[in-house]
Amino acid sequence: MKQEKRQRFFINDNIDILREILKRLDGASLGVAACVCRLWCSLARNDDSLWEHLCFRHVSGPPAASVKSVVLALGGYKRLYMVCVRPVLSRLGAESESDRRRVRWRREEVPVAVVVQLSLSLFCIDSYERLHGNNNAAGGIIPSDASASSLMFLCNPINV
Amino acid sequence: MILQSSKSKEMITVNQNEMVVDEGLLHDIMLNSPSLHHLPQTTHYNYNYNYNPFDDTTVSWINDDVSSPSQSQLTSTALHLPPPPPPPPLIDHQQTELLLPTEQQQQVEEDSAIRLVHMLISCADSLQRGHVAHAASLIDAMQSLQRHVTTASAIGKVAAHFIGALTRRIFAPPLTDRHGGVGAVANDDGGVLYHHFYEACPYLKFAHFTANQAILEAFSGHSSVHVVDFHLAHGLQWPPLIQALALRPGGPPSLRITGIGPPSPDRRDALRETGIRLAELARSVNVRFAFRGVAASRLEDVEPWMLQVRQEEAVAINSVMQLHRLLGSDSGIDSVLGWIRRLNPKIVTVVEQEANHNQTGFLERFTEALHYYSAVFDSLEACPNEPDKSLAEMYLEREIGNVVCCEGPARVERHEPLAQWKARLEKSGFKCVGLGSNALRQASMLLSLFSAEGYCVEEKEGCLTLGWHGRPLIAASAWQPFPLTPDPHPHPHWLP
Repeated sequence: MKQEKRQRFFINDNIDILREILKRLDGASLGVAACVCRLWCSLARNDDSLWEHLCFRHVSGPPAASVKSVVLALGGYKRLYMVCVRPVLSRLGAESESDRRRVRWRREEVPVAVVVQLSLSLFCIDSYERLHGNNNAAGGIIPSDASASSLMFLCNPINV
Repeated sequence: MILQSSKSKEMITVNQNEMVVDEGLLHDIMLNSPSLHHLPQTTHYNYNYNYNPFDDTTVSWINDDVSSPSQSQLTSTALHLPPPPPPPPLIDHQQTELLLPTEQQQQVEEDSAIRLVHMLISCADSLQRGHVAHAASLIDAMQSLQRHVTTASAIGKVAAHFIGALTRRIFAPPLTDRHGGVGAVANDDGGVLYHHFYEACPYLKFAHFTANQAILEAFSGHSSVHVVDFHLAHGLQWPPLIQALALRPGGPPSLRITGIGPPSPDRRDALRETGIRLAELARSVNVRFAFRGVAASRLEDVEPWMLQVRQEEAVAINSVMQLHRLLGSDSGIDSVLGWIRRLNPKIVTVVEQEANHNQTGFLERFTEALHYYSAVFDSLEACPNEPDKSLAEMYLEREIGNVVCCEGPARVERHEPLAQWKARLEKSGFKCVGLGSNALRQASMLLSLFSAEGYCVEEKEGCLTLGWHGRPLIAASAWQPFPLTPDPHPHPHWLP
């Protein structure tokens, strides 16, 4: 009996499908996925659109086209997510993995878009301060070790 | 008077990480001294010394103070504080060999803190009456008492700063230096300290975000906008505004920022450098941008023509904790408000400390400052330890120094409460623009990002205040000038 040789399916041969799958992951899972192999790692690191989906996943309606250019200019979606969106969402008590479009905050439902707007503002300050750091060769006002970042308060665990 | 242990020469060591001070502790001490029930939760001291809070001489002297009619009058009426508790009896010799139990040590600390506060106020009172020698001896007593109150706690720091300020006021000649003699950083002019203050606590962030929200709303529909910032510092307020303008529906306007700041001491031009950074940011997000720096050591020296306002642009004036510096002379504030009004701005954002530090009586001013800065230091204590807070505290120390030590034109920290600013601005022809629910929500969200519980945002008659445990500490408001009658002869500062 002739056995048909089944064609094996390797996900790594089909990067488009892989990308579609990774797009739907939440932040923590995406981080784990980045540890699987080099291909997945490079996708997670370099493909900013994955992170773009993560940032705006719960926002109803696609963000304006101008948002993308602004975010890219300020440092990219991955940085936006890591530095601002994720800590802000977790601080405000939202479960970023849930499918909700609104965040429950202080007995009020706030559209996630508002939260993202706040994150964008903070992200802009972060980007500006990094500009500071780069221009410090001439002995600027801020010490160039730039450990003084305005967003450091977001890094601290909340004292519940 | 140096305290040394009989057994070893150990200095007092406090395991700072384990000492948890109730956040409201200092505030409560200031408000109602008998509340000795708020004890810190865990305290690990390593005391091993002869406990003797007062010298024989100090004890009797303080007793005199308590019994004097002026003192009790002072404490019971003007300040609503009860008369200070009598000093504890001296521990007799046999007991000094034993380690004191923790609760008693906490009691000691509390008692000392309360006593320090009373002594600070009575010292200020003596100064007001002109009894300089008495005040000086009080300073000595306070400095020895201060050793009981660890400087890791908020009250320790506040007490240290106020004692230092009083010392300078008594022993140093009348100061012309704006900084009240604190620190030799005359060159710095507060740039680094301001930045650390910005990072360590939410007051300045609240100010910036709230003002930006008002400015953004006022600029809607205009294609050419101009912001005048009375104190540019590092320009940290403006990146979010630039970003919000970049993303506004309909596309960004062309933005001009005019930053006013003190002249740089060395060859660097700090204003220009900040302007370059802001321009870089604006360029990266495709906002047409122009910057102009105006270097002036005092706000009164700025003339409207220096701002080069154009007729077709929408102007916003932004003053974060700057207007109070003009209150040294009546003409200063009136002339500045006058030319602001003549510029016909779309919005004027004013953020000021919510305190009355401009009273003529020294004692009232001192007491008010003591309450205010105690609340501020308490709130700072609750903020996370990173970033390093010591420079932020130095920034506040300078303010305290100026409020307490300086007089006349040297005293620039002339804070006034919101109600007084409202009256002043209305008299100069401005009407209050409500800040709106967006601003309130944004401020509250911003605050909840800080892991310290205790901050509160309140809205009152269209103005927002940020406070600590119910005590407002900083107030933000937005204003528009009443329409002027059209001027047939345009002012020379309008550019064609």
